[in-house]
Parts: sequence; C-alpha cells; structure tokens
Amino acid sequence: MSIRNTLLLAFCMTGTMLATTIAVANVQPPVTATNAVTEVKTVQAPTKISSATDSKQNKKSVSTADHSKFDELQKDFKSGPEVTTACLECHTEAAKQVHKTKHWTWEYINPATKQKLGKKNVINNFCTSVTSNQTFCSACHVGYGWADDNFDFTKEENVDCVVCHDTTGKYKKLPGLSGHPNYESMEWPPHSGKFREATDLTNIAQSVGKTSRKTCGSCHFYGGGGNAVKHGDLDSSLVNPKHYLDVHMETEGLDFSCAKCHLSDSHEVSGSRYAPTAVDTDGVLMRGKADGRNPTTCQACHGDTPHKAEHPKLNEHTDKIACQTCHIPEYARGPLATKMSWDWSTAGTLDENGHRKQVKGSDGRTLYDSKKGDFTYDRYVIPEYVWFNGDIKYTLFGDKVDGEDLVKINEFLGTPGAPDSRIWPVKTFRGKQPYDVGNQTLAIFHTAGKDDSAFWGNYDWDKAIKWGMEAAGADYSGEFKFVETEMSWPITHMVAPKEDALTCKQCHKKEGRLEGVEGVYIPGRDANPWIYKIGLLIALLTLIGVAIHGGIRVYMHKRGE
Amino acid sequence: MSKAFLGIILGIFITAIFIMNSAGSLMFNEIESPFGVEETAARIQANVQSLASNGWKLSGLRNPAKAVAFDGGNVMPVLLVEACSTKYSGPILKDSNTQILSLLMPCSISVYKKDDGKTYVGMMNSGLLGQLFGSKVGGIMKQVEADQKVFVTFDPSKPAPPLIKIKPGGGSAGGNDQGGC
Repeated sequence: MSIRNTLLLAFCMTGTMLATTIAVANVQPPVTATNAVTEVKTVQAPTKISSATDSKQNKKSVSTADHSKFDELQKDFKSGPEVTTACLECHTEAAKQVHKTKHWTWEYINPATKQKLGKKNVINNFCTSVTSNQTFCSACHVGYGWADDNFDFTKEENVDCVVCHDTTGKYKKLPGLSGHPNYESMEWPPHSGKFREATDLTNIAQSVGKTSRKTCGSCHFYGGGGNAVKHGDLDSSLVNPKHYLDVHMETEGLDFSCAKCHLSDSHEVSGSRYAPTAVDTDGVLMRGKADGRNPTTCQACHGDTPHKAEHPKLNEHTDKIACQTCHIPEYARGPLATKMSWDWSTAGTLDENGHRKQVKGSDGRTLYDSKKGDFTYDRYVIPEYVWFNGDIKYTLFGDKVDGEDLVKINEFLGTPGAPDSRIWPVKTFRGKQPYDVGNQTLAIFHTAGKDDSAFWGNYDWDKAIKWGMEAAGADYSGEFKFVETEMSWPITHMVAPKEDALTCKQCHKKEGRLEGVEGVYIPGRDANPWIYKIGLLIALLTLIGVAIHGGIRVYMHKRGE
Repeated sequence: MSKAFLGIILGIFITAIFIMNSAGSLMFNEIESPFGVEETAARIQANVQSLASNGWKLSGLRNPAKAVAFDGGNVMPVLLVEACSTKYSGPILKDSNTQILSLLMPCSISVYKKDDGKTYVGMMNSGLLGQLFGSKVGGIMKQVEADQKVFVTFDPSKPAPPLIKIKPGGGSAGGNDQGGC
C-alpha cells in the first residue's frame, strides 16, 4: 500500500470515527439508578459562625470610663456645640488638636509640589467644589456651622467630637445642615415621606468611644455624593466585611478598625490621599519609634520581603510593584458598584412635565439624574496601573484649561523603573464638567442651597457658575463649556485573600494586566526580537547538529557492514 | 497490511485529537456583550419574555459568585439566566429515551465578566447538541437554537430593563410557578 493510500485510509477512518461518536452518543442507554454511582460526600458545615460568635463574645469593652456616669454628660443637650463644650471640660486639649488636622482645616500644602490642596481647594470631577456649597459639603466636616466663609475655625465648641466617637450608630450629619445633625424630626431624604427622628444627643454623648469602621465610613464610604461613589475601594460593605472582601477588616477574622493602620497622633490621622507613601523600603515599622514614617503602608507591618522563602521570586517583585497591585486584583468587590464616570454636561434635562428626571439601570442604580447628569458604574473593576512615586500634581482653580485637551484633575507622578517608583493600581474616574471659557479655568458652580442660584434648584448653569465663581473670588467671563476630565485614586483597601492575588499569568502575557505599563521588561508580555532570533538560531543549529551526527552514525554503521 | 493498520491507528489518533481540541468549543458559544453583567442579564431576560409566543418564560436567576464569596473567595461577577419553554421541554420529557435530557433544563445562559474587564455571554450550542440525540431532539433543539439567537440580540437604543430577580425554580416558567420547567 502506497503512502497516498495510507493517508486516504486515515482520512476515511477519521470520518468513520466521528460518525461513530455521534451515533454512539445517540443510542447510549440511560444509566439506571441502580448502576449509577451515587456517592454523596458529607460536607462539614463551615464552623465560621460559631467562631464569629466566640469572637464577638470575647470582645469586651476595654475602656476604663463609662461616659454615661459622667456628671458633665447628664444634660438635655440641644445642639452639637453644647455636647462639645461638655467633652472639653475633661478633654481640654482635644479641640486644639483637632484644629490642626486636615479633618478640620480641609487644607494641605504638599511639601513636594507646594500646591495648596485639601477639600477646600481641590476641584474634583464628582460634586466638583466645596466653595459656595459648604452648607451641604460640611456634612462631612468635623465641625458645626460651616455654612460660608464666615465660619469661625478657631472656636473650640465648633468641633464635632461625636461624629468620630459615636458608638450608637444613630448620629448622622445631613447635607444642607452645615455640619449639624437634625435637632428636630425631619423628612429625609427630601420628598421621600420618611422622617428621621430628632438626634438624641444625650444618649450619643453618653455612649462615646473609639472610632470604628462605621464612624470613619460615615464620610469616607460616602465620598463623592453617595455610597461607593468615589474611591472604589471604600464603601459601606466594609462596615462588616467578609473574608473575600478584606482580609484585614473581616469581621470574623482580624477585624481591623480603620485606626489599626491609620494610627493617630494628637488627633492627626495618618495616611493621606494627597501625599501617599508609594515606596516603603524601611521594613517593619517599630511602633512608637518616632521616625516620621507612615504607619499605614503594607510594609509597616509586613516588611518589604513578605513572601515565604519558598517563593523568592515574589519578593523580587517588590522593587517594582506595589503590594496592592497583586493583592487587590479588583476593586469594588463588594455588592456595591462604584461610580466610574459622571457627565455633568447632560444635567438639566427635565421630563415632559418639566420635573426632575431620574433613569434607573437594570440593577436599580441611577443612570441619569436631571440634577447631576449621566453616570456609569462597575463592580469587580480591574484597576489601571501607573508608575507612582508618591507625588500627585493637581489641576487647581486658576490653572489653565483650554477646553480641547483632556484635563487631568490629578496626575500620579513616577518614573518607570526608578527606585522611588512602583507600579500602583488606581481607579481612574472620568467625567465632563464645566469650565469658564473666558478665564480658561475649571468652573466652580453653586450646586445646592435654598437660594435661587443653586443648580439643583434652577438647572441654570449660568447662574450657578456665576455664584460659584464669585464665591471663589473670580469674575465669571459669562461663557462656559464642558471639558473632559479624569481623576485617579490609589487603590489600597479591599485586600483580597492571598489565594485570590494576581497570578503570574495575569501579567506575564500579551494583553495582560500590565499591558500599558512602560519602562519595565515583563517576560511573556515583551517580545525582544533578538532573543527570539537567537533562540531560533540555537534550535536550528541543534537540529542541524543532530541531523549531521545521526547521518554520520548511519553512514558509519553501513560502512562497517 | 501493516500500512493499512497504520492508517487506522493514524485515523483514530487524528479523530481523538480533533475531538479533544474542538469538542469543548463546539458545544458552547461565547459572545461579547457591550453592556455590564447586570444589564446584559436583564436584556436577555427581556428578550426571553419577548418570545412568550414560543412558550418561553423565565425560571430563575442564579448568582454563583455569591456562593464563592460566602465561602471567602473572589470570582468575577457571573449571573445565570434560566429560562424554559414547555413547548420544547414537553416532547423531550415525554419520551423515556430522551428524558435524561432533563439534565439540560432549564435552558441556562451565563453572563460573566472576564479578566479583560469585558462582559461575555455563554450558551450551549443547542443545535449541535441536539443532533447527537436523534432527529426528534435535533429538530426541537434547532428551534431552541434559533430562539437563543434572539435572546442575545441586543438593541442599545432601548433603555436598560430592570433585572428580574427570580429564585431558581420559581418565576412563572412551566405553568405558573410550578417549579421551573
């Protein structure tokens, strides 16, 4: 039989086998219950519930003071400042300390860039600016009464102690009340028909304690105008997180409060979004050592070679990659989606009856709101990755915006491959917001208020921008347009279990996680044509060598015969 | 003779390679969705309901990722839209020779997010699968295949419908909440 016939037979057999496969599948007798293997394994129920109960039972209050027994707090408090006055009778220096913190001043001067930052000065691409909107924004200020520029930042009783130290969970500062809680029964949310009872200040004052995920989260989980909106790695699912969401904060595990990492000194809380520590090579931080280090870094606890000896290659990554890059593979991993974009340019469209319009998405989240414009959201978001050395440059009010180019509200600085830079995961939030065409700067506009210039009341951009610009001490040119903006946020929370960290293959491949990151050679991603050519050449030479060697052996063997 | 034997062996080998390589991908179809996971699932649900004339009803919405999260792990979002049509399931369930195909009921369409951040829709290749079980099942599954194409045809001009959260086996499928199919 010739080779041709052999191949022909092989093709025929292939066809026959395929046909047979289909036929067999068709006539296969049903498996009866008697000859079926019905092995049912008994699965042990997880024991986490009982251990959680134990954990909760073991958690007793460690405080040496029962504030409900203090004479100073046996009063019928009518306002927040009254509570603070009582607190200061014992904690005499507390307000003075708070006055020096970013939580109070909302100002921060970046030592590297010399830019004047802080909530007071930065324009973001969420609700944009505090200026002219203090009545609403100050719901997240640790003070009472910040309604306008006349607020007295030196008055000690203006400090709000209980917003951080409440343990009842019943204290809530509502937008529009200039940092006060509601002292009387009040409809909330507006027009909802639901009412919030007057805040029981006496009970709250008598129940104060340490800060908690809930107190910190009452602002930091709701940044940008709502739950899960701003950061992507901070939302209310971290109040009682499961293991999958955050291995440090897991309620049934380590149960870290925010303050466990964000150690405070004289009420100044460590860890900053304005000047993060991108690189920490000083190993484990000895608590109490006054070396000015940031205690919130991963390395402050884990050191900079945290992986076990049997995985030395992983430790070799730490000079290029931030811990967060691998250990927070996605953000917004809880049940809540984070906002990914906000287009103010579409705001102001009303329904056919001239009323505010809201369009909900498939999951019930608002996709369009006349007050705010269009939104997009996402869960399990794959971060963008950038080289970062800890310096962030902001586009501030007054900085030139031409309307043509995308405006980077902030830019993470870093040099590829430099010792002071690491590859960091970030959430990049994109949007469109107004800018003053004549002044060529991002516009400040008056968003909320009971006056007739607030955009949420009149949907009149001109009026809102005029008011906002005047509040910022600038003359509005009279013309505005919308410009595309983006703003980045470092991803540092929602640390996943180690089993869920990025795998080698997720980066070491074409179109992997680090596809767009320049300045570093990543095997599997980067093709060096010379290495490939040399490899091919070696393989070819080996083949030729084997062929020659084999040929000589055959020749010599035949010659020997 | 030995060459004939070699040809047979070679044929078996090629067949095995062919089946191993392509059977998996042939049995399932995967397409990319322009929408997020929830919206894709909701649009599929709406499309299923639009084919009520063919007996299609929703019979469940599963979230397997939730179970993994409960046990402490992370997986990308995934939703299983379950639908059933007694018009198609009835004849298959009536026949003892094909009753085993109840294993494939209800019809599941998976919506998931991958590591590239995009949303995908995965479905069984009903047409091909049906062919494996004779002409009767093959004929039914051909119709299911045609309907499946409608399920995953999205009209972006239409607003996002709400996601219908039905417990698996519930809903109105198979005769007003009688347990799915």
